[in-house]
This record gives sequence, structure tokens and C-alpha cells, in this order.
Amino acid sequence: MNGEQEVKLRLDGVSKSYARGKQRHPVLDRISLTVREGEFVTLIGPSGSGKTTLFRLIGGVERPDEGQIYIGGELATGRRGLISYMPQQASLFPWMSVAANISSALASAGVPAKEAETLASRWLERIGLGAVAKQYPHVLSGGMQQRVSFLRALLMPRDIMCLDEPFAALDALTRADMQAWLLQLWEAERRSVLFVTHSIEEALTLSDRIYVLSPAPARVLAELAVPFPRPRRVGVWKDPAFVELKERVLAMLGEGAAHGR
Amino acid sequence: MANKSYRSVLLPVATLFGLALVWQASCSLFAIDPWMLPSPLDIAERMGTDAARLAEQSAATLTLALKGIGLGVGFGVVSAILFHLIPGVRTALSPVIIITQNIPLIALGPLLMLWFGFGILPKLILLVLVCYFPVAWSMLAGLGQAEPHLREYLAMIGAKRWEVLRRLELPASLPYFFSGLKITATYSISSAIVAEWLGGSEGIGHYLVLKKNGYDTAGVFSAIICIVALSLLFYGIAALLERLVIRWRPPRSEEKGGKAA
Repeated sequence: MNGEQEVKLRLDGVSKSYARGKQRHPVLDRISLTVREGEFVTLIGPSGSGKTTLFRLIGGVERPDEGQIYIGGELATGRRGLISYMPQQASLFPWMSVAANISSALASAGVPAKEAETLASRWLERIGLGAVAKQYPHVLSGGMQQRVSFLRALLMPRDIMCLDEPFAALDALTRADMQAWLLQLWEAERRSVLFVTHSIEEALTLSDRIYVLSPAPARVLAELAVPFPRPRRVGVWKDPAFVELKERVLAMLGEGAAHGR
Repeated sequence: MANKSYRSVLLPVATLFGLALVWQASCSLFAIDPWMLPSPLDIAERMGTDAARLAEQSAATLTLALKGIGLGVGFGVVSAILFHLIPGVRTALSPVIIITQNIPLIALGPLLMLWFGFGILPKLILLVLVCYFPVAWSMLAGLGQAEPHLREYLAMIGAKRWEVLRRLELPASLPYFFSGLKITATYSISSAIVAEWLGGSEGIGHYLVLKKNGYDTAGVFSAIICIVALSLLFYGIAALLERLVIRWRPPRSEEKGGKAA
């Protein structure tokens, strides 16, 4: 829309199927989507709709059967090391200090060791975790571990951040807390994000645009822009337009499920 | 807490002391000949008069065992990593290695002396064969045990093979390495004794042969006490190293509930 160079991630008709016994089971069906610079894009779909597979393709861990993936304007199909990633489990290394978890990931992404250490400690300070920077991750609560995990993804100098249901394992209160925290931090930093969730509220609260996926084999059912202005407040769910959008997405997901059968 | 640890030390010590008392009492009550079964006091006396010699011989055994452990552990670690990185090497070599583990030391020892003479070389080979296996095999198991979600995280951010080894697989294998090391530590002393017994001019094993041939049963018991002490010392050092190196594990008894969010 605003010129090709602004698109950080583009999927072009990506399909993937797995062989189970003699049959092939399609998981993704010609998925096309884009994430532009500084844009927060969410994929929403029922569980088992192949969102994790889609991430593995973007990460270059697997190759699509068809279609191409472009990251930062370059062909990236099957290429690793171009994205930063925040998984559902915090996935911090238990034998490294909180700070070392972040700095070693930055070093993997090519940041010089000294600079990585400075960045990690400065940012941990900034998100109020300076006191535990030298501790092992097991002293942190689940929510705090996810904050470290998010920071690790945020600081990696890569074109796109992929967040795979990062709050799914948290309790409702912590989750709401984390959404507010992430919203604030992201709005200050404006990185390009591809976010996966199956919470409609979460998608509407955080994103600029939403792609609604069908059950497997996943297709893009619809693409919607979320009209609420930034900086966004967490109370945005009280807005009548929010409720209306939520109902639309719910209806689409319901229809998609009916089609799938 | 304090009471418990007090008891866990006091009870076994009291038991040992009680046994020694019964032993001493039986020896004098039934007038057992000292060459048949010397009393604890006889043994203590012998250890006193022979202290310099025992210390010298123990030191020789200690040196031999340390060399064996050093080499065995070194080979063990290197081959565990090699087998892990190149599974074909493992498949090719593991039958040979398992066969060497099943030949009794008292059969292998004389053969090695036949081939390599009476110097330190055959003894060292024997020890390395013994020390190698527990370390290599437990570490190899540990290298494959790394948490799948951490592996997936590293794949997604495009970590190189050696980064996966250094940041994930090696640290994850350390607890396994140390259980192997603790086994090796105790094996090494008894194998060093066997090696010295089979042929040699120094060491506690050699001392043991001399005392046995001279029907000096108190001397035999003195040697046994030195051997047990050396084994316990080695095990203790291995356990201490484990505690010093692996500090990231959360304390097991601590309640995690207090740290929620």
C-alpha cells in the first residue's frame, strides 16, 4: 500500500501439508499476508489451525510446499536467523542469568558481546527487573519470565518479531497485566510484530490489523483493520465498536468452522 | 531442620561405632587369633606403626587413580560430544566399547601386562577403560535430553549448530556428566587396586598383596581402610564439584507458590 520497501514480512500463497501414513493432510492453504514496518499484526484462528506451522515456515525451520516468504524485502523461504521469536513458554535457559539469557540471544543475532551486555542490563533496569538481572530465571514468576522473554525478542536486531501465543499459559489477571505492559512498551518502540492468539479480545486490544484464519487447512478468511487510535488504553474493550468488531470476528470464526465440516 | 541434619550425621556414626565395639568385644570374648580376625584396636595399632608406609602407598595409588580419571573423563567427554554430533561414529564404535566393558579386569590386566610390560602404561590403560565408560555414556544420554522447547527456540532464532551445543546441550548434560563422574570416582580407586595387585611395586594394592602373603591380617585391614577412605574422598570431591558447578537448580524443598506473579 505504502510502497514495497516498507513491508517487513510478506507471505505469498504459502501452502504446507504433512504426510500422515499414506495420506497428505493439508495444514496451510495458500496463505498470503503482510506486516509493514512498525505494524502490529495478529493472526487469529481456532486451535489446531496451523499457526505454529506458519511460524516454523517463517523462521525457516521448515520449507513450504508452495509459495514464498519475504523478510525485509528479500526472499527468505527456508532461511533461518532472520526473525526474533517469543514462544508460548518463556524458554529461558535455566543455567544462564536473566541478563545472560538476553545478551546471549543478542550475540546470536550478531550484536557484539559488550554491547549486548550493556543493552540487556539497561533494558532490564528500564522494565523494573534490574534487581534480578544477575539471578537465575527460576526465581522469577511466570509473568516476569515472559517479560524477559519479550525483551529478548524485542532487542534482537531483526526485521520482524514473531510472538506465538505468548500469554496463553498465564492466569487471567497476569495476562491482562501483561497485555497492558506489552502495549505500552510496544507503542514506545514500534517494532514490526506478527502475533498469534486465539483470544479475540487480545487481538483487538493490541493489533493494528487482524487476519482471521479458518480451521485446518487454514485459509485467510478475512483481514480487518482495528480502528482504535494509538496510544491505546487497555479499557478499549468498553468501546461499543470493540464489541461490534468482536462479534464480527466471532461470526467469521463460527462460519469458518461450519465450512470446514 | 538443624535437628534433622544432626540426626542424619549422628545415627550412621553411632552405628559404625557400635559395630566396632561389638567387633572388639567378640575378639576378646572368643579369643580369636589376630591372623584370623584382628580386633579394631589391633588394626589401629598397626596403622599407627605403619603410618608412613601406608601414607606413601596411598599417595601412589591416589596419583595413579587421578591420572586414570583425568584421561578417562577426558576421553569420555570428547567421545560423548563426538558420538552426539556424528551418530554414525557411535553406531560403529559402541559394540567395541561395550565389549571392552564386559571383559573382567582380572582377565584383561595380565594381558595388558604381557603386551605393555610392568610399568605404568598397562595400569593406566586398565583405569582409562574403567573410567571412560560411565562418563561417556551418561553424558551422551544427557546431550540428547535437552528440553525440546529450548531446542525449538534456538532453531527459530536461527542458532548455529555449535551454539546449540554450547548454550543448550552441554549445560543440559552436566547433571548427567556428574552422575557418571561420581560412579567413575569410586570405580577408579578399586580398579587402581586391582591393577597394582596384578603387577607393580608400589601402591596400596601392592601393599595388600605383601600383607596377605605374610598372613598379616591387621595389615590387610589397614589397607582396606585406606582404600575405603580414598574412595570416599574421590566421591566427595566429585559431589562437591557437582554442587559448585550446577548452581542453577531451584532448591527442591522451597515452595514455589509464594512467588506467583
